[in-house]
Parts: sequence; C-alpha cells; structure tokens
Amino acid sequence: MSTLAGERVFLRKASGLIKSASNTDVFIYDIGLVSIGLGLGFLLFFGPAVYLGGNLYVATILAGLAMLAVGLGMLTWTITIPRSGGIYNFGTRSMWPPLAFTLSFVEVTSWLFYGAFGAVYLAQLGIAPAVTAVGILTGNSGLESFGAVQLAGHWGTFIIGTTALIIGAIILSSGMRRFFFVQKVMFTIACLGTLVFLGTLIALSRGDFLGNFNSLMGHRLGVGQDAYHGVIGAASKAGWHNPGYDWSRTLELANWAFLPLIGAAFSISIGGEIKQVTRGQTIGILGAVIGSVVVWIVSFALIFHTMGSNFLGAVTYSNLNAVHGASTPVTPYPTLLTGLGANSVTLTILIALGFIGWIWLWVPTQILYPTRAVVAWSLDRVWPDVMGRVNERTHTPIPAIALSLAGGITFVGMLAFTTFFQLVIFIEVAVLAWAIVLLAGVFFPYRRPDIYEKSPIARIKIAGLPVMTVACGLGTIAAFLFFFDLFFDSFAAGHARHSLEVLIGWFVGAFIIYWIMWFVRRRQGVKIELAFKEIPIE
Amino acid sequence: MLRKRATADDLVIFFATDVHGSDVCFKKFINAGKFYGASVLILGGDVTGKMVVPVVEQPDGSYLTSFAGKEARLGAGELQDFERRIADMGFYPKVMTENEFQELRASSERQDELFHTLTAERLAAWGEYARPRLAEQAVKCFAAPGNDDAFWVDDVLGSSDGIELLEMKVVPLDGLEMLTTGWSNETPWKTERECTEPELKERILAMIGEIAEPGKAIFNIHVPPYETVLDQCPELDEELRPVHRGGNPVMTSAGSTAVRELIEKYQPVLGLHGHIHEGRGIAKIGRTVCVNPGSNYSEGVLNGSLIRLKDGQVRDVQLTQG
Repeated sequence: MSTLAGERVFLRKASGLIKSASNTDVFIYDIGLVSIGLGLGFLLFFGPAVYLGGNLYVATILAGLAMLAVGLGMLTWTITIPRSGGIYNFGTRSMWPPLAFTLSFVEVTSWLFYGAFGAVYLAQLGIAPAVTAVGILTGNSGLESFGAVQLAGHWGTFIIGTTALIIGAIILSSGMRRFFFVQKVMFTIACLGTLVFLGTLIALSRGDFLGNFNSLMGHRLGVGQDAYHGVIGAASKAGWHNPGYDWSRTLELANWAFLPLIGAAFSISIGGEIKQVTRGQTIGILGAVIGSVVVWIVSFALIFHTMGSNFLGAVTYSNLNAVHGASTPVTPYPTLLTGLGANSVTLTILIALGFIGWIWLWVPTQILYPTRAVVAWSLDRVWPDVMGRVNERTHTPIPAIALSLAGGITFVGMLAFTTFFQLVIFIEVAVLAWAIVLLAGVFFPYRRPDIYEKSPIARIKIAGLPVMTVACGLGTIAAFLFFFDLFFDSFAAGHARHSLEVLIGWFVGAFIIYWIMWFVRRRQGVKIELAFKEIPIE
Repeated sequence: MLRKRATADDLVIFFATDVHGSDVCFKKFINAGKFYGASVLILGGDVTGKMVVPVVEQPDGSYLTSFAGKEARLGAGELQDFERRIADMGFYPKVMTENEFQELRASSERQDELFHTLTAERLAAWGEYARPRLAEQAVKCFAAPGNDDAFWVDDVLGSSDGIELLEMKVVPLDGLEMLTTGWSNETPWKTERECTEPELKERILAMIGEIAEPGKAIFNIHVPPYETVLDQCPELDEELRPVHRGGNPVMTSAGSTAVRELIEKYQPVLGLHGHIHEGRGIAKIGRTVCVNPGSNYSEGVLNGSLIRLKDGQVRDVQLTQG
C-alpha cells in the first residue's frame, strides 16, 4: 500500500522512514555544552581582574558574532554531510586522509583536555569555593579551611577532578540511557541554580550586598570593617585600575566567551540523528549561541547593578594577585559572592549546585566526544582494533572510554600539579583544526559537486556564490581571528615557546600516528586509505 | 598497489547492503571488485527504493516537484540533472502531467503499479549495467532481497546475467557454504518479508540442515543478531517517532533473538547483516565475526565491508565508505 507524503511525493510501506532528533533536543544538546555557568565564571572572574579596560558586553557580543559565523559554516557542513562523527566525516570527504585524521585527532584531544579542564574547575570553581562559603556563612572555621586549603589545593583538585572523570566514565560505560538521564538531571539542576542566581541578584540591593559582605568579611580581611570599600582601595594601591574602554583588552577578553560558546556547534557530532537537519541544526547551533549570550549579558547587568563593577574588578584582582589584606578566603566567583551577599546558606548552596551542574555537563560529554571518534578511527583501521570493541551488554565502547579516561586523568594531573599548560592553550589547537575544516568547506561545493548538489542548501546562492562557500568563508575568518586573538593573549593561551611546542607537536604527533598505523596495517595486508576512498564508477 | 588482493590465497569478499534503490551506490558496488581487489561481491537486502518523486509538467514549460521537503520548480534544462540526483538518492523520479499526478494521488492501487514499474525498470537497468562489467572483472556476484523488498523482486534479480540470487539458498563459496535470507523479525512498519521469531528460526534452520559443517559456514542474514552493536537503532514511540532524552535519541536493540540464538549455537565463521542502517560495526559472538556495514545510500555513499578469509577463517574485516 502506497501513501502520499506531504504534497507531491509517493511513499511505499517500508522501514526506517522516520528518524529524527527534534529541534528542541538539538538546542538542549548544544546549550548544555556551552556551559553557561562556566562561561559566566570565566568572564566575571578573569574579565575585571586581568583584562583591565576590557568591556564584558562588547567582548561577549563579539565572541557571539564570531561563533555565529563559525556555527553557520559548520551548519552548512552538517547539512551537506548529515552524519554523526563531526569533523572527521567532513575531513575524510574533502581532504587528504592523513590530514583529516590529524585534524580529528587534535580536535578530540582538545575536547578531552577541556573535559579535564572542567573536572579541575569543578574543584576550583565549584566544590571548594562552595564549601568555603558555607563555612564562612555558618561560622565553621574548620569547614572554611577545608574548602579553601584542602579542596582547592593541588591534591584536592586532582582527587576531585579525577573522581569526576571516573564517575563520568563509569556512567558512560554503563550505557547511554544512564548517561542521558544524568545529563538531564544535571541540566535541570544547572538551569534551576541559574534562575535562583538571577532571582537573588534581582532581589538583592547594593546596600544589602554591601552590608552583608562587610559583616562577613570585615573581620576576616585586613582592610577594615568597611571591607567593600577597603578591598577597592587595597586593590587600587596594588595596581588595579579601571582605565576606561580598551579595544585590545576587550578583544582578548572575548576569548573567554568564545571558549564555552564553541560547545554550541557540538551537534555536528550527531548530524546523522537529526531528520530536519537544516531546521534542527539551525535552531540548535544558532539558538545556543544567542541564548547563552543573552543570559550572560543579563547576568553582567544584574551583577554590576548589585555589586558594582569597581568592586568586582578589585575583589577578583585581589584574589588572583594575593593582595595583602584584600584577598578573600573564598575565591570570589560572582555566583558565590551572590550567595554571600545574600547571607544565606540555602541560596549559596542552591547557586553553587547550579554552577557545579553547568561544569559537570562538560565532563562526561567531553569524554564521549573523543570516544566516538576513537571508535570511528578503529573501524577505519587507523587506530588499534581493540579500541573499537563495544561491550555486548552495555553497548558501550569500554576500551575507548578507558583510553579517554586515562588521557583525561593525565591532563588533570598536568593542570593540578604543573604550569606546563597555559590556561587554554588547547583551544588554539582546536580552533585551528576547525578553521582548516571551515576553509575546506569554502571550496567543497567546487571540489565535490557530486556530494554538494545533493544538499538541501545547494540551490541557495549569495552574491552568486554557494551558501556553503560564503558561510564557511565567514566561519574561517572568524576562527582564524580567534586563533590569532588567543595566540596574542598570553594569559589565556599565548605563544610562549612551550605553548608553540604543544601546538605544533600535537599536529605533528597526530600526523606521525597516522603513518605508523598506515605502516602497521600495510604489513597486515590492510590498506587503510581504502576506508575513505570513493569507488570510481566506470 | 590498491587494487591487488592482500595475498594470493586469501578469499576477499566485498559486502554491501541496504542500497534502497540508489543508482550510484549500485554502480559503485559493481565496480567494487576491481577497486578493492575482491573476488566475491555480495549485495545484502533492501535493494529497492521507497519513494516516487513526481515531476509534473506545468503549462509554462517548467516542472513542479518536491525536493528535501520543499516544492521546487525546474526549467527544462534542469530536468535531467534533477532526475539523476533523485535516482542517486534511491528515489524514482517520474515525469507526468498534472492530470496524471492527480489521478495517481487519488489511487493507492495506481501508485503501487507505478512503484512496481519504476522499480522493475531500475533493476533491469542495473542488470544491464552489471553484466559486461562483472564479466570483465571475473568476480562472483551475489544478491539477496531484504524485508523491504517485494517478492517479485526475486524474479528480477534472479534473471540478471552475472548476478546470482541467494534468497533462501545455500551456496558453496571457496570451501565454505553460505546460507542467505532477507526475512526479518517483526518491525513497526509491517514490511513485506517479516515474521515472528519462531518462524524466522524455522526458516534459517531449514537451510542449516543443508549445510555439511555449520561451523564452516557464512550466515548471510539480513537482520542482525539481537543485543549487539549491529542492531542498535533509535527507540520509537507509538507514532513511530524517535524517543529522546536529554537531547539525544534513545537507542534500542532491534535485531533478531532467533538469529542470535542460532549464531551462538552453530558458530559460523562469519555473519553478514544489514537492516539497521545505524548499526555499522563489527561484533563477535563466540568465535563468529558478525558484520553490518550500515547504510548511507541517500548520500550516494556506499558503506561496505572488505572481508579477508584464509583457510576458512576470518583474517581481517575492514569497513569502507566508498
């Protein structure tokens, strides 16, 4: 029995005709990976303290616009090649396989680094300050010290970070249903925590905040009972100042908004699971960018209204630079300052839980992303076969998860005990990989018209050029601009010698791995290049 | 050199499945022997397409049609290119008048007839395409239907020179024996060849009875074994829409318990499967290597698996995307 589908095609009874992730699902997936809370923490902590003269609003909007351009480019890729697996699929269809593998390798190891980064910040931005704040609010000096000294220390960070990664890996190993359930719960907690945070800021007047801050910190800091103004004074003496608007610092500050916003395009990794790929990915990617930027901007306005921009700059500067008498015992992330300012244990815990929820959303997903790639490499024979094995009971690739976990723990150790990695050096590596893939997208409609002409966007032209060429062109420009922005931002990433060694070494190492596997497979009689080559039609 | 066999005494099989009418995928399949150095080509089930795309002539000389869920108007010069693209995606373009379109729209019987005609034409054209090329390559080429294919498809496939129809048969293959069926367990779509698990078990057992040593056999069964990486697909709700949690599709097993049970019991050398397009992968059940290359037919990409056997054992499996 045949049926009429839509207006002008006929379908027959056959399997698999419906397969889609809804537009809302894609949006949730993407915005969850932006980690609104972590972005807020970065921007409001590093911004006023390190990037003097940097304007948070402008920086965030600039990063949002750049990510929109990158997102549009990736959108055209995923619409044209709607398959799960991210840039590995795009690369193997458009460029030399060793280069495609290299880009995929550096990309997924970068995301793994950010999984570790999230795990470290779960300790340093989430749990340790929350415990310290609760200690302060309840007058429990033991708890206060435990949070500030033990949990925030090297070993505390390493243990919490490693535990978070292990829990994430166990959840992933036990099956995707459990993973999705946990992510949904944490997403709900994160959203509720954010609402409590924003609601508290709306309800809290400057006077209330000042009074509560002074009563809690007046006897703890060495700047007098009026700790609020004392911190501003001490920080100013130590070198903090507000020089007014500075374009170059604003551009550098934008790096901290761009970093979490990259998560908005992560739905390219599930492209094969979205039926209305054009609409779904557009809503998912662009919606996540715009939604995150709006939440951040609203939060900035409320924070500045309640705490004052000078105070925020001074208190974060004092903490980062250990200004004598003005460095708060708890790391002054705005979320915790809000809880302290409200003088409420309950609100502090709820806000902190929300913040922890946002950070958590990064951790297992950043293990999952490399895991999917590792399995794909194994199936293509560019990675050891054992890494592609899937547990028959849980249907999860346990060896690949274990490998990702080992990599993640190594990164946590490096971040907790050494200063080898500049804060976000790996973002340079990932952004460069994405920039190259976007650049390949500029030429894709001309190099592979056989594939591109099947795309739903093939007929759309802008100024006579294929829309993919234009979107990927804009995305390439944005990605390279941010690569250089990071390159010249010595606080976030920079180009110190060891940073460059990491950057270059990662690409070269991945390239060498490909050729080692090529050689090993050749000796086994397997030609790995066959996995990607298109069969010629004669 | 890419086009050499791994070693002279290896049996190299190229297996692809679920091409669902894609013209370009079938042509790639026929050329795969030469490209990959395979001596045996096996096309798994679900060879026919699912959709007719009417291209309706308009009074002004243009053509009105649908593409990717949207109406599209084509000029006369664009028609041939559009038809080729649609055929490569596995669909059947059909130029018609507005009256013909409206008549077809009103009659499901006439739509069935149209499907039959267009499907038979495409299969016949594939046979014509394959014959000289297979003769030149000197490869064995086998094909089988799947649960989505009508029963008359067997006759068309079986009449193609150079392609041997496998359905419900046991054939010798380089010292091994291979049984084949396109029947599946029950699906939500109530397709042509599906049955209950006990019935499926009986069908396969009937063929196993013809095999001298099941432990040295290849089970070419369209539906994959239950609870493996090969049978994972999105869970559907009552309206056949995928279930999502946390923004991600919930996956479930849709394979056959009967197929799993028989593989566990008889431990064939190799299991060749398809049916679940998302289930691309390799699984081991005991000593049996089971393969599902998956399918991306609508993109014109031929997913396949290159299987090397030596002394009756699987030496290597490589998944390809050609």
